[in-house]
Formats: sequence, structure tokens, C-alpha cells
Amino acid sequence: MDIEDYDPDADLMALNMGPQHPSTHGVFRIKLILDGERIVKAVPYPGYLHRGVEKLCEKLTYVQITPIFDKHDYVAPMTNEQAINMAFEKLLGLEVPQRAKVLRTILAELQRIASHLLWLGTFTLDIGGTIGGGASLMMYTFRERELILDLFEALTGCRFHYNTHCPGGNRHDVPEGWETVVRHVMDTIEPRIDEYEAICDSEIFLMRTEGVGLISPDLALETGQSGPVLRASGIDHDLRRDAPYHAYDQVQVRVHVETAGDCLARYKVRVAEMRESIRLVRELLGLLEPGPIVGSKPIKSLVQFKASGGQVYVGIETPRGELGTYLVGGGDQRGAAPYRCKIRPPSLHAMSVLPYVLPGHQVSDVVTILGSLDPIMGEVDR
Amino acid sequence: MSAWEALRERFDLPEEPSAEEPPVIDVSRHVEMAAALKEFGFTMYVTVCATHFPEEAPKAKKGEDPPPPIPEHWEVATVLRRPGARSETFAWRVSVERPVVPTLFPLFAGADWQEREQYDLVGVIFEGHPDLRRLMMPEDWDGHPLRKDYAIDTRVHPWR
Repeated sequence: MDIEDYDPDADLMALNMGPQHPSTHGVFRIKLILDGERIVKAVPYPGYLHRGVEKLCEKLTYVQITPIFDKHDYVAPMTNEQAINMAFEKLLGLEVPQRAKVLRTILAELQRIASHLLWLGTFTLDIGGTIGGGASLMMYTFRERELILDLFEALTGCRFHYNTHCPGGNRHDVPEGWETVVRHVMDTIEPRIDEYEAICDSEIFLMRTEGVGLISPDLALETGQSGPVLRASGIDHDLRRDAPYHAYDQVQVRVHVETAGDCLARYKVRVAEMRESIRLVRELLGLLEPGPIVGSKPIKSLVQFKASGGQVYVGIETPRGELGTYLVGGGDQRGAAPYRCKIRPPSLHAMSVLPYVLPGHQVSDVVTILGSLDPIMGEVDR
Repeated sequence: MSAWEALRERFDLPEEPSAEEPPVIDVSRHVEMAAALKEFGFTMYVTVCATHFPEEAPKAKKGEDPPPPIPEHWEVATVLRRPGARSETFAWRVSVERPVVPTLFPLFAGADWQEREQYDLVGVIFEGHPDLRRLMMPEDWDGHPLRKDYAIDTRVHPWR
């Protein structure tokens, strides 16, 4: 029933979920109008983590912006750095050497595994909590994620906020023996994903996810969904395969598509993507040939960059979907900083589907649906 | 036939698409452009980016009279994507002297929050949007922070 069909005197209740709520993955408020336990209307209010990144980008120069982008999707900083640096490279006309391309692709895929592992842990925590065994799965996924963070630490010196990309290449070359450790970590994680899949034997898990939060293919496209959410709704679209960047044109990316469009389908897509990423990392390690990792121009000062006045859009496939950057160049008159930098966060679009999906579900399903969209509030609000 | 070729004559676009300069079309044909692209398979709403250009006096060359100043204007760039194999994006801009642009909400539900965000931060009014409220800033915020005349160190009252 729509909210307009209700008698004004009907016994509806407004429930304010958030901003501080453990299941909102950050600071997010959603106003629910309830008829008993059933949701009649949902109004999301994002913006509690708005830090004005876009305004800040107009103040800083091209090299200074990369570390800010680490902080906006704090679960997948590697792919965020790549998104903004690819936009700079397109605007400034910089070439990336082959080794840096392959290295970036490997880092993106490792980051995808780490991000999906964190999602899997918190998702089961959302729906089962400590009673349903969700908390123990979270411990296991964090154990595996730590292995990947160790790899990043060996490469860049940081567990988070790496600042390893720069316009025209990478800052840190792989240390000696890194490839061997990566292969070893992949061999460790792969059988453990099979162990996680045992969660599908749990009747509670299936009851909480199957048929919950249906997103139809049309709705998914219209609201601008991307990444696993779009693929779980039956749209066969993956930028890694369809508009290849980095070294994705040198490997074959197999895209997993589910047609159900519910929370279980989104779970299946992400688990399949982890397996695919492991395969890709192994294949890409073979392509990592010796060579320079920065372009011919050394990145020391900005004066070297010709200030460009063009406007470019670059979108890449991060673990959450299409992260795009629309850049308006500074031009000769306005200096070496972007004039306007618009970020297109996949999580914001994922959250904008909530008012369409939530009505008709029960209050406890809000947590499941929210979790299955994998939102990162730092990215939604920026 | 690419989308560019199909739409070139109808919208008076340049000969070849430029990687760095999305075409500028008249604001009265903004919705028509989006509808034509949607029919052409660009069904995925990617993003909208509004930019504020304050009045600017270009520098004069030596020995010449200074050129006339460029009046204050806003540019609204929209990006759509065709999903699936060989996916591509299509971007176009409209340039307006008053910050009023027709909404694309009836065509793409995804324009809802994106246009609200641009209204909130840049102050462009999307005419016909059913629910044009602020998205990121508090409801009672003064001004639009991404306008160029809004200094980064503008003093604000401590917010509740």
C-alpha cells in the first residue's frame, strides 16, 4: 500500500534509524514510516560525513590530491587512487609504462578481494550477529584480509592510505620476493573461500537473504547502479571487460552474472568475483616484466605539467562499481589545480535505490538490504 | 553507426568527438538529447557535474585593447553510459547565464540524488525536479559551497 492510501488517522509510526546505528556502516540516517513491522515509506538522509572533498580538490595541485582520495572510500583506497590518477593522466596526456599498468591491475584485484572479504564479514554480522554465527565468519574474513594488507604494507609501507599512485605511474616498485608471497597468499585464500560458502547451507542465512531486496534490471539501470549490484540484477556489464583500462585488455575477465536481483544474488556475485580476482592476480603476475614504473617525465614539480583546460570523464570498476571522476581542467589562467572535480561514487547510487526497494519489507530486512548494497559512507558523502 | 554520427546533424555537433571537450548544446534541447541517447541504448545514468564560472576579464595582449569580460555563467555536464559489450560514455554540456536547467528525473530515476547534490553544492536549480532539497549540507545552510565566490575559509556558525 502506498503512503497516500492510508487514512490520516491510521496508526503509522515514524522510526528514525541512525545516524548512529551499528548496521548503517557509518553515519547514515533513514526515516522509516511503519505500519506495524512493515515499511510504508523510507526517506534516506545522507550527508553526515560530508567533508567537502570536491572543494578541497580545487585548492590542491594534481599531485596533492591522491592522498585525499585514499580517505573517501577507506575500504578500497587502491582503486580510488587509480580512478583519480587515470583522470589526471587523461587530462594531462600522460603515458603509463607497461609495468605500472600491470602492477596497478594486480593492486586493484588484490584490493577487490580485500574489500569483498570485509563486506562478507560485516554482512553476516549484520544479518546474524553473534547468535547466528556471523561474528565468527567476520573473524575469519578479517584474518584473510590481513594477509592482503600485509602485501600492501610490504609494497608501500602503509596498511591503509597508501598514496602509491601518482600521475603517470606508481611510486613504489615491488620489493624482492613479493610475487612469491602474493602467490602464496592466493593459494591460502582460495580454499578458504570454499569454506565460507558453507554459509549457504545455513537455513537462517537463506531465509534472511533469498527474495529480499529485489532490484529489477530496469530499476538498476535507471538509478545508475553499477558493479556487483548491477550484475546481481541480471545486467551483463563490467568495465574491466567492456571498456578495458590498465592491463585488463591483456587478460580475459570472466564476468559472473546472477539474475535473481536479491540479497543472495549479490552475495553470490561477490564471492564469484573473489575467485575470479584470485585467478586474475595469478595470471597478471606472469605479465609483470622488468621495466620502469613511472612515465618518462619524473613527477617532481607541477610546473612540468602543462595546465590543461579540457574536461574529461573517466570511470573505472572498483569493488563497489563504477567510480567516475569528471574533471574540469584549470587552463592557463587558473593554474595547475583542477577547476572542478566531480566524483561519481558508486555507493551514492546504490543508496539512492533504497526508497524504491524498502517499502513492503520488514524492519529487520532494512539491515540486510543496506548491507547487501555494500555502501561506504565516506564515499557516499565525500 | 556510432551515437555521435546518428546525432551529429540533429544536434549540430562538431565533425569528430573530442576526448577533452564534450559538445555544448542549447539548454532548450537538453532533455531531447537525453531522450535521444536513451533510445540509442545509453540507458545508464552516470553523473551530472555543474560548474560555476564567475565573471572573468581575460588578460589583454601587449599593445591591444583588453577583450570584453566573460559574463558569469554555469556549465552543466551530463554523462550517460551504454552498458554491456564495448561500453562507452556520452557526455554533453549546456551553458546557462541563469542557474536553471530542466531536470532529467522523468527519464532517469538516478538523476534524483545527483541533481539534488548539484543544487545543494553549486546552486543550479533543476526545473521540474519533484523534490529538490539539499542532499549533503544541513537544510539551513547558507550559500552553495562549490560556487567560486564561496571562499574555502568562509566562517560559518557552529552547527548544532
